[in-house]
Amino acid sequence: MLQLASCKAASHSFALARSSLRNVCQRNRVPVTSSASSLLLRRGYAEVFKRNKPHMNIGTIGHVDHGKTTLTAAITKVLSTEGAAKFTDYSQIDKAPEEKARGITINSAHVEYETPNRHYGHIDCPGHADYIKNMITGAAQMDGAIIVVSATDGQMPQTREHLLLARQVGIKRLVVFINKVDQISDPEMLELVDMEMRDLLNTYNFEGDNTPIIMGSALAALDGRNDDIGASKIQELVKACDEWLELPVRDLEKPFLMPIEDVFSISGRGTVATGRVERGVATKGTDVEIVGFGSSMKTTLTGIEMFHKELERAEAGDNMGALLRGIKREQIRRGQVLAAPGSVKSAKKFVAQIYVLTKEEGGRYTPFMANYRPQCFVRTADVTVALTFPEGTPDAAEKMVMPGDNVEMVCDLVFDVALEIGTRFTLREANKTIGTGIVTKIFE
Amino acid sequence: MLRNLRTATSPAFRCLYSTAAEKPSLKLVAELRKRTEVSIVKAREALSASGNDVDAALDWLQKDLVASGAKKAAKVGGRATNEGLISTSVLSNFTGSRRLNGIRAAMVELNCETDFVGRNELFGKLASDIAHTAAFIAETSKASSSAFQPLPVDFLQDAPLISSSNPGAEPTGTVATSIRDLIAKVGENVTLRRAVTVAADPPAVEASRAFRLAGYVHGTIHKPTEGRIGTLALLGLKYPAPQGFSSEVLDKLQILERALGRQIVGFDTRTIRSENPEDHSALYNQPFITLPDVLNGQPVQEVLKRWSVQEGIVSDENDPGAVEVIEFAKWAVGEPLE
Repeated sequence: MLQLASCKAASHSFALARSSLRNVCQRNRVPVTSSASSLLLRRGYAEVFKRNKPHMNIGTIGHVDHGKTTLTAAITKVLSTEGAAKFTDYSQIDKAPEEKARGITINSAHVEYETPNRHYGHIDCPGHADYIKNMITGAAQMDGAIIVVSATDGQMPQTREHLLLARQVGIKRLVVFINKVDQISDPEMLELVDMEMRDLLNTYNFEGDNTPIIMGSALAALDGRNDDIGASKIQELVKACDEWLELPVRDLEKPFLMPIEDVFSISGRGTVATGRVERGVATKGTDVEIVGFGSSMKTTLTGIEMFHKELERAEAGDNMGALLRGIKREQIRRGQVLAAPGSVKSAKKFVAQIYVLTKEEGGRYTPFMANYRPQCFVRTADVTVALTFPEGTPDAAEKMVMPGDNVEMVCDLVFDVALEIGTRFTLREANKTIGTGIVTKIFE
Repeated sequence: MLRNLRTATSPAFRCLYSTAAEKPSLKLVAELRKRTEVSIVKAREALSASGNDVDAALDWLQKDLVASGAKKAAKVGGRATNEGLISTSVLSNFTGSRRLNGIRAAMVELNCETDFVGRNELFGKLASDIAHTAAFIAETSKASSSAFQPLPVDFLQDAPLISSSNPGAEPTGTVATSIRDLIAKVGENVTLRRAVTVAADPPAVEASRAFRLAGYVHGTIHKPTEGRIGTLALLGLKYPAPQGFSSEVLDKLQILERALGRQIVGFDTRTIRSENPEDHSALYNQPFITLPDVLNGQPVQEVLKRWSVQEGIVSDENDPGAVEVIEFAKWAVGEPLE
């Protein structure tokens, strides 16, 4: 359950950590007038994105010749007739330029479309290593996926690798599209494709018996012919996505959490912790827990301030100052979090999937071995971490990690910080980011 | 093309033979697919052609693969292959105790289009078999003093494929036909990009110098011998004739060899020596970080000398019999070739 917003927050966490503190202070001193800010927002060339439907990121996975791109184009074409998408041609999707943003390669075409219930962001999944890297760094995220299989070939040896990838990146449910059914004369063969696919899904712990499998022809839909296997099947596929794929929980609906960026003591009022709300909602009078660095204290939010004004409520994305009852300035510090009581625990030791940046991406030039000790930045916390290989790794003492590797490692922090499965962090050494990671397992 | 033709003609076909040709049962098609991983269409065709007899269908498929595999290979032939595996095989490494062996080893690069296929077991098995075959072909060269000889890909393509897991088995085809069969199964272009062999003759009984081969592959998935980046490195050291190395020294030597392999792969290693001591693309100038030892972090050249004294290979650090790296080859998947 990795959220887009939270991953963004985390992947920038380091940069944000410093800059947003500054922003908070600056904004507090020089509030931007509202007319000026709305003017700024209106400018620009992009259309205004309306957030009136829940958003979900979806991807296509499949063999190179099975018609992933055709399917993507067909979905946009069919939905564009209802004005719910902009038709994106085959060539536009296929020739999407490889973007290099902040040294992270995102070579996936971004396509979007809407159904009556949801808004989808659609990406293509180019390769295993590329996708894992995008997942760890938060550059691209799939909450669900469509597996594309050609009816003529059926599942192929590498379909296993496709499902393994989906498993590894935490996708729980899939929809299967059997493409090119017009090239099969015997309907029984389609039954076989269906049967084999369900078997394979079960093997990899996807709910094979209940997974929707839609059979059609993406090309027919794109060409606007044979409605029975074309456009209507695309509609069916999109409907299956709506019904079967589960929406990720939105940040606003999660329990409250705010990483502490700074602590002030305001005479006559008490201790104020500032930070940017990562998720959830807090109102005046809410009970919160302070988690991390060995202590766990319960207190109450006696006040919420933003721009020097008192507020009733702060929600995910807001920069706020939290007035804490009965807490002394010395009792809390940057790196701890304010959270809804019991919603998050602090931990020292965990397993993480780590991507080590290459030197072209600004990372290390040389490999490292077990017991490497960089700085680990989790939200606003900055803690030294020792990296070792998971128990049972053969020749762990000799094992080496190179820049460019995706690797699973055991992380042992010097101090405990608030952690959950899915928490992202950054590894730094000598003021250089050398890797990013995502927590996959926490040791009690 | 063939497929289209078949679907187009099938109604007429069925009319004529509706009683004669039985419709292949789902169960048999499924079984055939489990055993061969051929496509559904092919499996069905094979069963129709052989009257629903699985064994006959297997034969039919074997024959058909020659034609259909070639067609598939021709279809995907032009597509870029930038993923895949570096696979190494060391058949024989100088052991230095009693039995005197030569060195026979090889490294190959087998490419495909996506890393999904690169990670698949079938692909890994073929890469390892090809490396194994290349190592079998390895011969010392009279013309060159180097133990590393590039093996022409065309030559290797025609060699019968020797299974690495079961070397005694009768080869079922050449390297080229095995690649073609894999193309038919995974539907991606698969190409053999390059191969190198390492060969050194067994030393004479009174030899004063021993050769050893160090190797390491990084980014492995199924087997420790194949992955994203690989190296083979030839080492030379003083041979304690006639008694040979003790087993303890050999154990330690193996640890050193693995560390040297990692060092070459882990760093941007291009040469062994360099005049410029700051040049870390030269192996001997690099800090030796991959040897889990007290000598950790000192330049590779220093460590090799000290290690040789420490393990009693030589008595003096300046003895030319200390362990040295003579040659190495380092390959990464998809890297540009000169």
